[in-house]
Amino acid sequence: MRRMRIRLDPWPVDTNGGQLGLQSFDGTLDDLETERWVALPARPIPERLRQVFVVDGKRRMESRLFIEDDFGQSGLGGFGAFVVGAVELCPHGSRQAELREVKAARLLAHAPDLRLDPMTLSPRNPHTGQLEYTPVAMQGTDALAALNLLQGQMLAAEQRLSHALASRVPADEQDDREWLSALTVQDGTLRGQNLDGAVVGCVKTMETMYLPPDRAALLAELRPGERTPVMRMTYRNGQFTRLIWYVRLCEAAFYQHPMAGVMRLEMFAPDDPSFLPPIVRQVANLSGTLLTRLGSRAHKDPRAPQNLIPTAALEQAMGRSMGSADLVTRRIRAHIASLHPQAVA
Amino acid sequence: MVLGTQDVTPVSFWFAVLPGASVQLDDLVAVETRKPDGSAVNFYGIVDHVRTRHEGVTFDSDVQDVAAGLLPASVSYAARVLVTRVQPENFIPPQPGDAVRHARGNDLRMALSADKMGDKAFPGGLLADGQVLPINYRFVNGENGGHINISGISGVATKTSYALFLLHSIFRSGMMGVGAAAGRALIFNVKGEDLLFLDQRNREVITREAEAQAQKGLPDHRYALMGLPVEAFRDVQFLAPPRPGHPGAAIVPHVEQRSEGVTPFLYSLREFCARRMLPYVFVDRDASVNLGFVIGSIEERLYRMAQGGDTPYLTVDDWQPDTEQVLDEDMRFDEMGSVRIGTFAQLAAYLEYKLLDANDGEGDRKWVGKQSPATLQAFIRRLRGVQKHLTPLVRGDVSAEQVARFRPDPLKAGVQTTVVDIHTLSATAQMFIVGVLLRDLFEYKERVGRQDTVFVVLDELNKYAPRDGDSPIKDVLLDIAERGRSLGIILIGAQQTASEVERRIVSNAAIRVVGRLDLAEAERPEYRFLPQSFRARAGILQPGTMLVSQPDVPNPVLVNYPFPAWATRKDEVDDLGGREVAEVGEDWLR
Repeated sequence: MRRMRIRLDPWPVDTNGGQLGLQSFDGTLDDLETERWVALPARPIPERLRQVFVVDGKRRMESRLFIEDDFGQSGLGGFGAFVVGAVELCPHGSRQAELREVKAARLLAHAPDLRLDPMTLSPRNPHTGQLEYTPVAMQGTDALAALNLLQGQMLAAEQRLSHALASRVPADEQDDREWLSALTVQDGTLRGQNLDGAVVGCVKTMETMYLPPDRAALLAELRPGERTPVMRMTYRNGQFTRLIWYVRLCEAAFYQHPMAGVMRLEMFAPDDPSFLPPIVRQVANLSGTLLTRLGSRAHKDPRAPQNLIPTAALEQAMGRSMGSADLVTRRIRAHIASLHPQAVA
Repeated sequence: MVLGTQDVTPVSFWFAVLPGASVQLDDLVAVETRKPDGSAVNFYGIVDHVRTRHEGVTFDSDVQDVAAGLLPASVSYAARVLVTRVQPENFIPPQPGDAVRHARGNDLRMALSADKMGDKAFPGGLLADGQVLPINYRFVNGENGGHINISGISGVATKTSYALFLLHSIFRSGMMGVGAAAGRALIFNVKGEDLLFLDQRNREVITREAEAQAQKGLPDHRYALMGLPVEAFRDVQFLAPPRPGHPGAAIVPHVEQRSEGVTPFLYSLREFCARRMLPYVFVDRDASVNLGFVIGSIEERLYRMAQGGDTPYLTVDDWQPDTEQVLDEDMRFDEMGSVRIGTFAQLAAYLEYKLLDANDGEGDRKWVGKQSPATLQAFIRRLRGVQKHLTPLVRGDVSAEQVARFRPDPLKAGVQTTVVDIHTLSATAQMFIVGVLLRDLFEYKERVGRQDTVFVVLDELNKYAPRDGDSPIKDVLLDIAERGRSLGIILIGAQQTASEVERRIVSNAAIRVVGRLDLAEAERPEYRFLPQSFRARAGILQPGTMLVSQPDVPNPVLVNYPFPAWATRKDEVDDLGGREVAEVGEDWLR
């Protein structure tokens, strides 16, 4: 008689959807690297790869506003902040990891027909710096528009930073621009269009099962560092095209779902559907070695190992650079109070 | 920069050390902060705590990831400052973000209150970074305060070395101006014959100072940095007790290592009585109240007996000792029919007769008073106990001329430093000598006033002035501690444990110095002037390093002081006079 078996979803219960609420994928998936569906071993990291950047972003809505401008127009808006940043590290462990470009930007999102000047919120104590909000017009006027604007701005900034730091990926076989010397690991799926950078997106949460059932079994069999072959994935509407593969970062504990510790990686696909850029193959080869090293430990991070060690540190640094939410809210209130002296008196 | 994550107060604050800079314990620092009206307030202080840690990481094991280059973290290097001075005295806190700088030049003078000392400062050693610690002489010579107290474990704390260094610094820094010759020192040598070579140059000082200079990266050797000459003590007289021997034997100093330049010292029996030295023989006069009365009345009797004569010995006519008195050829006419008391043993025998034996065991009524025989026996027992030790020191069998020649006189003309060697004496005899010499000095200074400052260097204060109990020596030391500074007697006292010394003596010292301490000792209330971090550190201080606390600077300062320029052992004596061996050899061959 078969006994009942229960396995744990590896992620904490308050994470939306969990890791293993798998939906099926209705786009197309083509073999690109090889047609043999087997686990490929991790390869050592080539000497020539000197820099790895781990990029992430974070945003925060600070206040929702109702604004009346100097010209009699009124509408919704919001104060918000976002920050993108990178950790630079040496994949060979010969340098200290460093935080790069972690600096908050502040936005005053507003309804499209308002005319506003940049706003500076000065503190009472001159030692503690000023907050400067740049006005940006929102798309649409609904309640979530300000948040969407903030999110869009953050993703765009993240994308720009990732690609600015990474080596170039050739677009076709004639294009032989450079070796892989700088790689960017970006948190989450890739968005927007291909900007040619050697940027690999790490998707922590498996929400959609892109593989057909007969192939999915391999994911449970992967050993730490091993990966699947690279495939070309196209959404049904044909809009996004990515090169994807799976890699295992650590052994799943016996009580966990067998796919715990498996992560999907993606890179931008070139226009030529049959071209696998050598840099992408290199990145796929070294991804197991690199990510098993960067993977965090369960007792330090509930989303281990997928939430990488540098990412966790970066998130902390980014939160810090936005400043304490309580203090910012208080500053905003004090600023508004100073605009209405009669209310305070 | 002053940290904002820790409390910033006017008396203590933390600051972050920027990359490339470094700060160590005991560094002096300065901070300037501005009040809202724009006026500046300066804080000066001493670093009493330094630490580094990884910032931005949560787990101890993260250090591996940081070292492997995976986890970005910064090293936070911070130090805590105890503020020693706020100028002007506006006790506002510095602001987080205010720049902290090393105190040098004028900042250093302000940090150590050297501006208040003016020209009355003398070097007390070198700070950790090679700068000179000034000590305010006004707090030494009795003007504002006086006395120096040094505590530390024997052998490691080198208390005597530091006391001598301070004397050298006081005498030779030029701070006293032309009056330098007016300062005198009376040093009691209680251990070995270490101090009997103070007037000889140390042959190792040049090499040892060169080593220290190289090791600490100083620009010059330490004497030069402090502006002190590298030379031995000048104008020193050495006094030592006479070697015990038969009465009438030659009077030679009881020292082994030094063959010349040491003068023996002794007192005549008549002086012993006339100058009321008897109480100093008894260290435990509080053993019973009655014993104190007996001592007092006998002291008075002896005093009266000694009047009217000028011989070193005493004569009595109411006593027939057991042994035959040999008739002396130079016996004087007025002594015919009397018995001469020529040794301390005879004096003891005479007293025994008067108190116990005379009158068929009743004792001489006038002498005995109403005391019980038990008390009288206790008195005699004690006197007999010290008889052996005092016989060479208190004698009647010498000529009056010898008494004058060998009388100890620390204030002799032409002598600046007097070393009294008492290490060969028994504890009782040591107490006797210290007590009598200090009493004489005190009485002399009471008559002439304070113009000559006399520094008294005395180790093992806990023996002479213990916290519990009462003794005439302790009374003298208390007198010196409490009134001596106005008379120009300055006590440079030292002991292993300040907790065992009479509290009023330690608390009267304006300058307190601590070397290596036993950690349990360091927690006692006597060391409350040390902040907690200094108390913990007092357990690991190396020889040559001292914590110095003075009234002008509210926190103690760690100093190191140079290797002695004077010999502290016979084999350190520089008998070549600083010249090369070959050079001296040539002189001989000529």
